[in-house]
Amino acid sequence: MKRRVVITACSAITPIGYGKNAIIDSLRQGKSGVGFLRDDGLLSKHIHSRVFGTVDYPIEYDFKRQYRKTMGPVAFYACQVAKDVLESSGLSREFITSGRLGVAFGSTHGSPTVQREIYKTFFSDLESKFSSIGAVDYLRSMVHTTAVNISRMFGITGRIIASSTACTTSSQSIGFGYETIKYGMQDAMICGGADEYDTTTVAVFDNLLACSVKYNQTPHCTPRPFDAGRDGLVVGEGGGAVLLEEYEAAKKRGAEILGEVIGFACNNNGGDLILPNLEGITATLRLALKDAEILPKDVDFVSAHATATKMGDVIEAQAIDAVYGDDPVNRPFVTGLKSYMGHTMGTCGVIETILSLYMMEQGFIAPTLNLENVDERCSMLRHTRELTETDTRIAAIQNFAFGGVNTCLLVKNGRDADL
Amino acid sequence: MTKDEFKDKILTILTEDFEFEQPGLDDNLRDDHGFDSIDAIELLGKIELILGFSFTREEKEKAMGIRTINDILDYVEGIQQSRNSQAGLSS
Repeated sequence: MKRRVVITACSAITPIGYGKNAIIDSLRQGKSGVGFLRDDGLLSKHIHSRVFGTVDYPIEYDFKRQYRKTMGPVAFYACQVAKDVLESSGLSREFITSGRLGVAFGSTHGSPTVQREIYKTFFSDLESKFSSIGAVDYLRSMVHTTAVNISRMFGITGRIIASSTACTTSSQSIGFGYETIKYGMQDAMICGGADEYDTTTVAVFDNLLACSVKYNQTPHCTPRPFDAGRDGLVVGEGGGAVLLEEYEAAKKRGAEILGEVIGFACNNNGGDLILPNLEGITATLRLALKDAEILPKDVDFVSAHATATKMGDVIEAQAIDAVYGDDPVNRPFVTGLKSYMGHTMGTCGVIETILSLYMMEQGFIAPTLNLENVDERCSMLRHTRELTETDTRIAAIQNFAFGGVNTCLLVKNGRDADL
Repeated sequence: MTKDEFKDKILTILTEDFEFEQPGLDDNLRDDHGFDSIDAIELLGKIELILGFSFTREEKEKAMGIRTINDILDYVEGIQQSRNSQAGLSS
């Protein structure tokens, strides 16, 4: 059994805005969501990088305590975008609770904010006869907290897939959700990811000399994917969700089709856990094309992972060139969307998918921000240097993670679903 | 602390921390306010802080049978009396 899988709803909380209009506005205006690293009273003063892709606007949550009590900040993002998606989908309560709808949702490592509070008790409780570890601290911090808080809040009884593979977390969520529907295990899936404000992640990349430090006084000037002056990634926060549905059912109920997932690939480099791997990445891009049964020339737009690290961007450019470079006329536009908001970690795949859907619908491709002087080692690509009004039929969303995990999603313009 | 003083503290906790709306002393905690076993563990932690001593495992397990706010008040009163009695016996 192979069924078609379409995207019928989406929502994202990002450093460049919450909701479709705000995000499109930022993309069109070239507005960066990167700001200053906030003081966390612990790690932030030791970190060289002072920039962060920050969600600095208020979000009005309306969750009852019975749900809030098992949620850390990461689950607030997750449940909010899941709520948006379910509300806009028009799916009935009967279907949502039928067992035919599942959840594929993850985060980099649950809620570090709650984990930090737990660790504090190891020290503060030494002199106390009371334990200050809360009854729900595990539920709020565990690695699958986003997926199960979504299922709990909405009474979803289908499959739970809680991917947690760092930067490929939510692209895997979408990919695994797509496969789950394609092969008939579920009829619909809420897929995505979230990551909360967390200086632990910044500290890790900072120690690896992978964080941007040269633009601490001008945060909007970094990250700089593919630019000769790039000096590393910028960690960010946010959440995103898409609703995947089996095509015939979605069409039958009159759902708006925003896009169609036509291909997905996921592999591993089979070796180093940090260094980007040309062979592994190239294989992923080709596997996705094979899964979708399309040719490289069919892809109009590549959303590159492009974190703005020194080697990562070069290896990715080489992989894109190896797969798409044979036909100089039909090369796809390439944009590094992290230039707008930094690297939202486990969320980046779904956010970049949603941004690609918005751009496909609106008929434009946003340029890579801060791309002033293309690194000559990346110059063989068709970089999007300015806002380009153009039609995109198929977009490739590429993501790569620590651990040597690579993913590629191929998404078709929803307008063309019936063609 | 008198039973009335303790009752006021419990009502404040249930209203402010657990977001009960107009709690009644004989309301069913689960049916009327959605209070579950996780909430019970959390409330016990707060009661320990008020009383200034930790409950034993047996005392905590006994608390799982509590159904109403009046049950909570009786439960705590019983434990306090038991502790006072033990303190008297040992002195």
